[in-house]
Amino acid sequence: MIRVAGREHPWRTGMTVADLLRETEDAHDCPVVRVNDHYISRPNYETTPIPDEADVFFITMIAGG
Amino acid sequence: MSGYDLKLVQTFKYQRPAIDKGYAHQTLYVDLSSLEIAAKPVTPTMKDVFIGGKGFDLWLLWNAVNPTTRWNDPENAVCIACGPLGGTPAYPGSGKSIAATLSPLTGTVIDSNVGGYFGPYLKFSGFDAVEIQGKSEREVIVYVDGIDQTVQVFAATGLPEDAYQLSDVLTGHFAQGKPRNISVVSAGPGAKNTFFGCLNFSWYDPKRQRARYKQAGRGGVGTVFADKGLKALVARWDAGISVETNQPADRERLKKVAKLHSKEIVELDPKQNEMARIGTTHIVTIMNDHDLLPTHNFRFGSHREAPNLGQAVFRKLFDPGYDGCWMGCTVACSHGVRDFTPLTGPYRGRKVFVDGPEYETIAGCGSLLGIFDPHTVIELNFYCDAYGLDTISVGTSTAFAMECFELGLITTAHTGGLQLYFGNRAAALDIVHQMARGESFGRLVGQGVRRMKSIFAEEFGADPRILDDIGMESKGLEFSEYVTKESLAQQGGYGLALKGPQHDEAWLIFLDMVHNLMPTFEKKAEALHWFPMFRTWFSLCGLCKLPWNDIVPEDNKSTAEPAKVMKHVQWYAAYFSSVTGRESAPDDLIRMSEAVYNFQRIFNLRMGLGRREHDTLPYRAVGPVTDLEYESRAERYDKQLTDTHRVDITGKGTAEKVALLRTFREQQYETLKNAVYQRRGWTADGIPTLSTVKRLGIDFPEVVALLKANGVTA
Repeated sequence: MIRVAGREHPWRTGMTVADLLRETEDAHDCPVVRVNDHYISRPNYETTPIPDEADVFFITMIAGG
Repeated sequence: MSGYDLKLVQTFKYQRPAIDKGYAHQTLYVDLSSLEIAAKPVTPTMKDVFIGGKGFDLWLLWNAVNPTTRWNDPENAVCIACGPLGGTPAYPGSGKSIAATLSPLTGTVIDSNVGGYFGPYLKFSGFDAVEIQGKSEREVIVYVDGIDQTVQVFAATGLPEDAYQLSDVLTGHFAQGKPRNISVVSAGPGAKNTFFGCLNFSWYDPKRQRARYKQAGRGGVGTVFADKGLKALVARWDAGISVETNQPADRERLKKVAKLHSKEIVELDPKQNEMARIGTTHIVTIMNDHDLLPTHNFRFGSHREAPNLGQAVFRKLFDPGYDGCWMGCTVACSHGVRDFTPLTGPYRGRKVFVDGPEYETIAGCGSLLGIFDPHTVIELNFYCDAYGLDTISVGTSTAFAMECFELGLITTAHTGGLQLYFGNRAAALDIVHQMARGESFGRLVGQGVRRMKSIFAEEFGADPRILDDIGMESKGLEFSEYVTKESLAQQGGYGLALKGPQHDEAWLIFLDMVHNLMPTFEKKAEALHWFPMFRTWFSLCGLCKLPWNDIVPEDNKSTAEPAKVMKHVQWYAAYFSSVTGRESAPDDLIRMSEAVYNFQRIFNLRMGLGRREHDTLPYRAVGPVTDLEYESRAERYDKQLTDTHRVDITGKGTAEKVALLRTFREQQYETLKNAVYQRRGWTADGIPTLSTVKRLGIDFPEVVALLKANGVTA
């Protein structure tokens, strides 16, 4: 089980950030996802696994700097 | 420390006015030549049109200088203002000072928004702004004591040169046992010997028992400060500040809206950017992943070693604890590194506390120089602050020199033997030490990219065309740290920025390139209208820009205009209304900014800038300059040529494709300028029209005369 923005979400072996976004409504345009202490950018979604028990947050990145 | 002497040379006693709805209703004038000190009234026009903060600075500066004033003339003024909302401890990001002057780099107005306690302390002492003119032949301290209702000027001898020691000594000297009551503004030796000196604004950190610093970095305001013979500006006020101190028009409404925004940040920042823990360092790897992190003088947007400079590293290096640069701010992003030991310079081998680094410093003094070692970045950060140097201009200027060295445009004969190749950490540090001493090649780099281009071409025989293409400055100011090649909107954000290419006016890369929210020229022009207007408004009011759109409500994406984060804008309108009593809606905030923004554009025109020809960019900000850059992203550029521009690239070499792409991209930028000028109510030459200035209430006789003298007739 992982937590996505504080809500529980089922986890499976090999689950990537891209997999999670496909399973989550309204998160597909999110350019950055935080998995625990790591900030994952869209180009790396397909190759970044999510560990079990992870805390995941969607970052909208409207501004910066 | 002993051995210094402060000799009182002038005293001005005043009756401190009661703060009323966020205003003191007077400004402080100090002439360092004559030692005249006076209080000037804030007029109704100043409040109605210029609001406060940067707006007040601009109006004071406009009246202080004339079209031929140069940065180092006595009549040039350093103006520092708070704003009507500044000094509110309950609302996040409400302690900003805004500094403005005529820049040594651009020749026109530069403004810088900075944390620390000075602006609020100045206001509560009885002055919405301070305007410092003239020049002193000896170094002086100007001391504003709001508690004793006295302004004093001291001739100073024997004080430390660097900002860290200086602020520490002056905090101790004036504190009367309460160091939190003191804020010091100071420059440093680098400010004296370069054109991009910054100002350090202090606040006292009771937990760490030391003065902390934020920097008004851009455009050389510290250089002007130092040139005036001003060693430091000190304010003293009682740190026991509450929401009552601003005497808001509606205290309960203020408390309510402040609580909403503060609580939201406490709840959402840990789920989003973690700025209270890692500052802006999270941006490093995100920019790198999206090919936007400048490396090697903006040649490229990513590097495999960039994670060495990312948040995962600084999360471990930052000293944990509360790091708000103003009281009660819940963003609290001003982190620092404790017990850092520099390897070079006067602090070599001694443990110091380093305030920073933030994203811009990491990129400018790290990846931009091909340096991916966090220790070196921290050391560069430390010495830039201690010497009073802008880390952005230091980074961008040094990177330019490094690329010129690698291209063979300059050699060790010019650099004094420095092997100035990318990644040479020792050379980068040497350059900074040389800047501070005003010696050797560092003295030349300290003049900034625009002057280096002239010197390299005229004295060293370098090809001026390549220098213009790779010298990352516009209007004379060095670029801040984002790669803009693939974001036309951000090219506009830099090229059309009033002060030069600084991201605080318009940061549109993600909205444009990643979110694709502005696919047409018109939509980009619209964003280049509203985004700078919101950002301007924060500097009118004494606020930080970060709480607006760096931490966003969880339901923001389902709102009508997610890019504007309208929930927060509505809160800001309520905030302004509750303090000033001037009932305002979100659209009113835009109108306030528009008046000041257009006035600044006209100020530029008065100083010889402010036309279409000045809104130019070096080609590297627009597209690939060299074959190497093109080939590194050949698939992307080939696709654009074939799919977007319908070019048959069969049989074409890289150089030919570089030239073709350049033609298309430069045309696009000019088309964007047309769209932006039209949206802003400017002529095709980029000058506000008479109807625009009339609509905004800035049709002062001298403004109208200036526009007519520049051929504007309608």
